[in-house]
Amino acid sequence: MYLIGNIALILGIVISLYSLAANIVGLKRKDRRWLESARGGIMSLAFVTSIAAFLLFYILGTSQFQYQYVAAYTNSQLPLIYKLAAFWAGNAGSLLLWTFLLSIYAAIIVFNKKKQNSMIPYVSIILLLNMLFFYIVMVFNANPFEMTDTIPADGKGLNPMLQNPGMVIHPLTLYMGYVGLAVPFAYAIAALLMKKMDAQWIKLTRRWTLTAWLFLTLGNIIGGWWAYLELGWGGYWAWDPVENASFLPWLTVSAFLHSVMIQERKGMLRTWNLSLIILSYILSLFGTFLVRSGILTSVHAFGDSNLGTYFLVFMAFMMLFAIYVVATRYQLIKKESKPIEAYFSKESSFLLNNFILVAAAFAVFWGTMYPLISETITGTKVNVGAPYFNKVMAPIMLALILLMAICPLIAWQKAVFDRFIKNMLAPLLTAIAFAIILVAIGVKGLYAIIGLTVTVFMFAVHLTEFWRGICARRKATKEGFLKAAIQLTRKNQRRYGGYIVHIGIAIIAVGVISSQAYSQEVMKTVNKGETFKVGHYDLTFKNLAETNKNGNGIVYANLDITYKGKDDGSIKPEKIFYATWPEPSTEVAIKSNWKEDLYVVLSSWESKDKVTFVVKINPFVSWIWAGGIIMLIGTAIALLGGKTTSSLRVKSQQAGGQK
Amino acid sequence: MRTISRRKLIKYSSVLLVSFVFLQLGINVNTISAKSTYTYNSKEFHSVINKLDMQGHADHDISTCTIKKVYYDEVLEALNEGTSEKEILQSYVDEYGQAALRAPGTEGSGMIAWIMPVIGFILGGIGVGYGIKKLTNKNASTETLLTNELPETEMKIIEQTFEEERRRHF
Repeated sequence: MYLIGNIALILGIVISLYSLAANIVGLKRKDRRWLESARGGIMSLAFVTSIAAFLLFYILGTSQFQYQYVAAYTNSQLPLIYKLAAFWAGNAGSLLLWTFLLSIYAAIIVFNKKKQNSMIPYVSIILLLNMLFFYIVMVFNANPFEMTDTIPADGKGLNPMLQNPGMVIHPLTLYMGYVGLAVPFAYAIAALLMKKMDAQWIKLTRRWTLTAWLFLTLGNIIGGWWAYLELGWGGYWAWDPVENASFLPWLTVSAFLHSVMIQERKGMLRTWNLSLIILSYILSLFGTFLVRSGILTSVHAFGDSNLGTYFLVFMAFMMLFAIYVVATRYQLIKKESKPIEAYFSKESSFLLNNFILVAAAFAVFWGTMYPLISETITGTKVNVGAPYFNKVMAPIMLALILLMAICPLIAWQKAVFDRFIKNMLAPLLTAIAFAIILVAIGVKGLYAIIGLTVTVFMFAVHLTEFWRGICARRKATKEGFLKAAIQLTRKNQRRYGGYIVHIGIAIIAVGVISSQAYSQEVMKTVNKGETFKVGHYDLTFKNLAETNKNGNGIVYANLDITYKGKDDGSIKPEKIFYATWPEPSTEVAIKSNWKEDLYVVLSSWESKDKVTFVVKINPFVSWIWAGGIIMLIGTAIALLGGKTTSSLRVKSQQAGGQK
Repeated sequence: MRTISRRKLIKYSSVLLVSFVFLQLGINVNTISAKSTYTYNSKEFHSVINKLDMQGHADHDISTCTIKKVYYDEVLEALNEGTSEKEILQSYVDEYGQAALRAPGTEGSGMIAWIMPVIGFILGGIGVGYGIKKLTNKNASTETLLTNELPETEMKIIEQTFEEERRRHF
């Protein structure tokens, strides 16, 4: 196993180098045979990396503690699913995951001969450079197949916080997002190297970019859900540096997904789009660097190693290379493009949207890096935690939601103000009515009310857009309501998929604003049989009991709940004591409904009859997860259908019209 | 002049002293009972605790984090001793520097943290404003605005676009 694993990694370096050379020679000599050979090399890389990945799964699953990685992240008591998920629990495994995913992506790109185009060899070169870097790092610094000096009887086990279904999905999805960004980046650089300044690379990578964005979204939402369930502090987003690192490329790719529409239609913003995708890819490397460098304190960090230096050098190399390529082709990129026809147009609003998303990315980046900057320059260590980000990001996000509300109402080319006002009136009145109701029923908190009102406005605009489309379709086709709705979406998957994503964001926004502004927390020590009140809930502590599961001791409390005087069942918050882990972990008990979550933590106990609980009521948290699912549905709709709008088609139409 | 006997003087002094002691005790008891109202659920307590970084443990689960527990107890004790929020925060800043707080202050280095996103936003806004101005074809928009009706060629384009959209939609 040791030999096969290491041979696979070394072969990775050899084949990457060969394929790189074959591509370069093939391009120089314009010899198809070399390019075909390089293609074969990439397919072989996928095969070799799959073997390495399979081997790691195998040694993890079969608890072969003679391997350092297995001994460090698993033990014999661990359920099989977590033994396998330990693949991405540490440095070496997660690097192999990166490489494995990238090799599969690269193989998919070169595999389909129908989609062969002249860009593939250039794209391959960029992807091969990435893979070569990861193979080198694994062979020389973080080898997943490294053996231990003496074989331990059992492994150290997996951190209890990682023993959650979130661990199985969250890192995997984030990596799929991160790695996915390498593909549009490679296409962008390929287009520049080939001096092909049209929107072809955007069309070829639209689905890749959207897929990467989908996985980043999924990864972030599952991460939040995991934190909420597993970390026991009652929150879902702590603005931790590593959380921020995954949020940063999400923001810039979101900007990119909007601004490419302008390039497709108008041939504009070429430099901007190239910069955005380069930035997104660099930020994904930055995230990987941040996890491994240990330069910032984070609950996600993989600890000390000199891997950070490797990543810093590679990141700097890729960034400088990209900047060089853009700079040397700048005059070509600046080629004449069709101008915006009016200030008040969808094109302008998309530019504003890009500005806000990039401003958000800048604020997050600045806040994340400021502790380091401050300490380096002034020698003063400062923390930039959640209160900072909440204050800075709240107005930016509010502006973004407002723009999301206004954008669908603004027409392409030139919007007519009167029509805009007319279309906006109903959603605006709905939002105002909503605000009045909130105030009338005694809801406090000005900022939260403003935030919720703007969100309702955005939500209403999108519903109205759907409504108008359905009505127009029904009028023209006499279809039933449901059929008209389905057909409308099916025929315009990009647009309506995007609208569904926006609706998902509105629902998440309601959850975030409400849970931030109206959360209640009570810490209470109670005796057996005693009842205490939190909000409309009455909780009665029945008893404290012990049990054993998978060799771990579990202490749990039984609590009966009534809501507004009516019986609402019972819950059991737990504390787990692991045989192989010094710290106990908390298993939060959550009673969730559409309106709020009752979140109960078993904090401590003096005796079996006297226990302390931390109880929170978090309003509308389930909306965050629901909104996430809606976003995914919307993205899937946009992803599965919707051809890119050909700028050539638009141009030919316009030329036809001007004749 | 009437003189007070030595015995009476001692008696009155003793009564005064005892009264004073009781009075003091009474005041103290009252003060303690007034100050002892703070608990982990008090608004004031949360206001202080939410501002402290607690050596990076601020977002930890109180039930498993010993460092967070220490901070909770210290802050509660300080509040109950009558220390104000500002004094408590300052005592931590004196001990650990600005790193004691979760968010940067509004002076010196901390100010830069707050102000940079604003500067970035303003500069970016100017950049985008300039970009939109540069990218916008003034002639087209001015002409349209002045006549308030679309030129014939543009009408044809729009009609064709509508036709194309209609085909796509229906």
